[in-house]
Amino acid sequence: MGPRLSWHHPKPVVLGGGPTCISRFDGRWVTAGWNISATRSEAAATPRLCVRCDNARVIYLDHAATAPPDPRVVEAMLPHLTERFGNPSEPHALGRQARADLDAAREEIASLVGAKPADVVLTGGGTEADNLAVLGRAQGQPGRMVVSAIEHPAVRRTAEVLARRGWEIALAPVLPNGRIDLIELWDLVQTGDALVCVMGASNVTGVVQPIADIAAICAEHAVPLHVDHVQTAAGAELELSELPGRVTIALAAHKLGGPRGVGAVIGSGVESLDPIVFGGGQEGGLRSGTEDVAGAVALAAALRIRQGAEAPAERSQRAALRDDLEARLGLSVVGAEVERLPGHALLLTGYRGDTVVRLFDERGIAISAGSACASGETLPDVTLTAMDIDDDAARSAIRITLGPTTTAADIDAVVAVWTELAPALQVAAEASA
Amino acid sequence: MIDLSRAGAVAQPDGEGRAGGGRCNDRVRFTLGLVGDRLEQVRFGADACAATTAAAAWLAARAEGGQLLDAARLGLAEVLAGAAIEPAGAECALTAVDAFHAAIGDAVARGAVVSSDPNRVVVAMSGGVDSAMVLTQTVAEGHEAVGVTLRLWIDPEAPSPERACCAPSAVRAARDLCHQSGMPHIALDLRDDFRATVVDPFVAGYAAGETPNPCTTCNGAFRFDAIDRVVQRLGAATWRTGHYVQLVVQAGTPLVARGVDATKDQSYMLALVDPEILTRVQFPLGARKKVDVQHEAAEQGLAAANALESQEVCFLGGGALAPFLERQGVRMTPGPIVDEDGVELGTHAGALAYTPGQRRGLGVSRGTEALHVLRIDAPANTVVVGTVGRLRRREVSLRDIQVRADVPRIDACFRMRAVPVAGRLEQGRDGTGTGTVYLDADAHQIAPGQVAALYDGERIVAAGIVAG
Repeated sequence: MGPRLSWHHPKPVVLGGGPTCISRFDGRWVTAGWNISATRSEAAATPRLCVRCDNARVIYLDHAATAPPDPRVVEAMLPHLTERFGNPSEPHALGRQARADLDAAREEIASLVGAKPADVVLTGGGTEADNLAVLGRAQGQPGRMVVSAIEHPAVRRTAEVLARRGWEIALAPVLPNGRIDLIELWDLVQTGDALVCVMGASNVTGVVQPIADIAAICAEHAVPLHVDHVQTAAGAELELSELPGRVTIALAAHKLGGPRGVGAVIGSGVESLDPIVFGGGQEGGLRSGTEDVAGAVALAAALRIRQGAEAPAERSQRAALRDDLEARLGLSVVGAEVERLPGHALLLTGYRGDTVVRLFDERGIAISAGSACASGETLPDVTLTAMDIDDDAARSAIRITLGPTTTAADIDAVVAVWTELAPALQVAAEASA
Repeated sequence: MIDLSRAGAVAQPDGEGRAGGGRCNDRVRFTLGLVGDRLEQVRFGADACAATTAAAAWLAARAEGGQLLDAARLGLAEVLAGAAIEPAGAECALTAVDAFHAAIGDAVARGAVVSSDPNRVVVAMSGGVDSAMVLTQTVAEGHEAVGVTLRLWIDPEAPSPERACCAPSAVRAARDLCHQSGMPHIALDLRDDFRATVVDPFVAGYAAGETPNPCTTCNGAFRFDAIDRVVQRLGAATWRTGHYVQLVVQAGTPLVARGVDATKDQSYMLALVDPEILTRVQFPLGARKKVDVQHEAAEQGLAAANALESQEVCFLGGGALAPFLERQGVRMTPGPIVDEDGVELGTHAGALAYTPGQRRGLGVSRGTEALHVLRIDAPANTVVVGTVGRLRRREVSLRDIQVRADVPRIDACFRMRAVPVAGRLEQGRDGTGTGTVYLDADAHQIAPGQVAALYDGERIVAAGIVAG
C-alpha cells in the first residue's frame, strides 16, 4: 500500500504566533508546503503556511510567481520518488517500469498540448527550456534573431549572451496595450533569421499574445518560432497542432501546481534544435541526464488539471473573480483592453508598488510588485517601459494573480485591506511633497 | 509592521526636514511639533519604497513623545533593527534617517531650546578625523557630547564635491560617529547662509580683482557664529572643535595662539574669531601633534581616520577656480597681459582667474626675466606682470582691523602657515579700522582680500584684511 496523505489537518495547530497545518504522512509529520519531518516538533520548527486551509494565515495571490503545489500532482509523483525509482535507461524490471512511466507521462504531456510524444523534451525547468530553445538555434556562424521587447529574463538574457557573441538581436516592439505590434513584426522578420521569440502571455501583465498570427508570420518567412508558454499554461488552452511552421514552446511545472526544476520544450521545432547539455544522450540527445520520471509524471498531472476537461470552467471562474476584484479596487488596470490570462491583474496604485506589497504582506496577503527595488534603486520593469508606461507609474504597479484555489473571500480581504490602506498611503504621499 | 498612523504633516511645524531624489525618486519629509524640548508630534510623508517608508514610519513612532536630543541619537543601525529592514534596504532607509535628522536640525535652527545640563559639551564635527577624536575624548571624559555639523553649500557641478568638508557624506560620517557612541547629533543646514556669507563675497571679491580667502571668513566668522548660536539652545555652556590652535587668556581676553604642531597650526584661519565666542570654546587638539592624533584614531578604529582630508576652499570641490567662477556667473573675457609700463606681452583668458604672485601658466616673457602676476586690474581686465622683486612689499595697508591686545611689535602672516615677517602696525586715526603694517623685511605674494594675522609670539593680537 502506498503512502497516504491527508492534505488538511482537521484542526489548526498554533505555531509561533499563527495557525498553520501539520499533516501526518506515512508515519512522519508534514507541514503544508511539503516539509517532511521525523518528529512533530521538528515540523513545528519549520512552519509553512497551508494555502488551502481555512485557518491559513496567508491569502496567496501570487500564483504567477509560483503556484501552490496541487495535492493531486504531489500524490501522482510520490511513488516515483519512493518505490518506482528506477533509471529508465536500465534493462531490468525497475528500469523498464520507469521507462514505461516516463513514456506514459510523455504521451500525456504531448496529447494535452496537441503535440507528438517525440516532440517533448523534458528539461530541468522553464529557464532551461527557454535556454535550449534559443541557444539550440544558435547554430554555426552568428546570424540574426527577433526577440520581443517584453521577454522573460530566461529569453532576454540568453539573447543578450548571443548578442555578445556576434548575433544580431532585433527587438520586436509592443503596442501600449502590451500586445506585439504585428505590423512591426512583419517588417522585422526576415527569411533566414534563426529564430523568432515571443512569450505566450506576459508574466508581468498577463497580456496574451496573438500567437496564431505570429506563427503565421514566422511560417511565411520560414523562420522557427519559440513561444515561452511558462506563464500561459496556467491559464490558457495550448494547442500546438493548429500552429503552422516550426514551433517550440517552453513549460514549467511549478507554475501549474507541480514541483520546481521540471520543464519542457515541446513542438515540431525540437527536431532541428542543437543540444546545450551533453552527456548520456537522453531525451533524443537534446537533454542529457538521467530522466526525472517523478518530474515528468508531475508535469503530466499538472497539465491534466490545467489543460484538461475541467480547466475551462475553472478559468472562467478565476477570470470572474479577477474582474470583480478590479471593479471593486477601481485602480488603473494594465492591458485591460486586450485578452489577459484569467486571474491576472497588474494594477497601477499611484504609490510605490513594493511598499504596497509589504503592507499587504503585513496583513497576511501575498501579492507582488511590478518592479523590484534593488540596492537603493527601483527599476521599472522592462515590460512596462516597453508599453510606454512612465517610470513613476511603473514603480507603482502591483501584481495580483489568482489561482484555482482563490475564493471570493480572498477577494473581499484584498478589497478590505486596500480600503484601509489607500487613504493612509495618500496622506503619506501628499505629506512627502 | 509599517505603521501609517503618523503619516501626514504637522500644520505649523517647529521643525521640517526632507530627503530624497536620486535615481528612484524616493521622497521623505518629516514635520515636528514641539512642546518645550519634547516631541509632541512627529509626522512623516513618504512617497518611497518599502524600506524607506518602513524606516520613516518607525522613526516617527519611536521619536514621538520623547526628548528632542534623544531623537537626535537615533541612527541608521537602530532604524534597521527596529523596523526589521534587511541590509539591502540600508541605502533606502538612509533617506528616511536623513530627512528625520534634517527636521531635528531645522527645529534647533528655528530656536528649539533644550533644558541645560552642566555636563553637556557641544562638539563641532566636520566628519574628519580631528573632530572625531575630540568627540571620543569628550565622551571618554564622561561628558554628554552633542555633535553639531554644518551642512554647507558646495558647487554640485564640481569634479568631486564629496571632497568638501561639509558634503552630505561628511555630515553622515559625523552623525554615525556620534550614534556609535550613543550621543546625539545635530546637522544644521546652512547652505543658503553659507552661500550668502562666504561664497558670494568670494565670487564678488574675485570679480573685483581681489584674492579673498574664504576659509578665514568661514572659520573666523561664519562657522563659529553659527555653532555658538546653537550651543546655548542645546543646553551646553562650552563647545569644542578639532582645530590645531591653543587659547591664551591675556588680560581677560582669550587670544588664539599657534597649535603645538607647527606643521598643522590653524591659528591663521581663526584670526577673525570674535573673542567673546572664544570664551566658550575649547581646542583639545591644540596641544597635540596631528600624527599622534591620527595614530590614536587608527588604533580606535575610527572610520574617519581614513577619510579624505578636506582641502582649502572646500566649495570648489577639487576643481579649478576659473571654471567655478564661470559657473557662478563671473564672465571670463580674454584681455591683455602687460608689464608695469603698459607694454603688452600677451593675452590672458580672463584676468579674474589670476592671483598675484602667480608665475605658472602666464605664457609671456620679457627677455630672460621670470615674470609674476603683480596685480589684477579688474575694471581694465588686465593682468599686470613684473619681476619677483616687484612683489616684495614692506608696507601693507589693511582694512577691518580688529585689535585684541596692544603690542608695539608684531609678526605678520598673510597666508596660512607662512613664515611670519616682523614689523609694527600703525592704526589709522579716523576710527574706520584702517591702518598700515610696516615690515622689517620683504614679504611676498600679498594680494588684496587676504587676511593679515598679526602675532605677538604665538598669540594673534590683531587681524585685518589686506586693502592694498
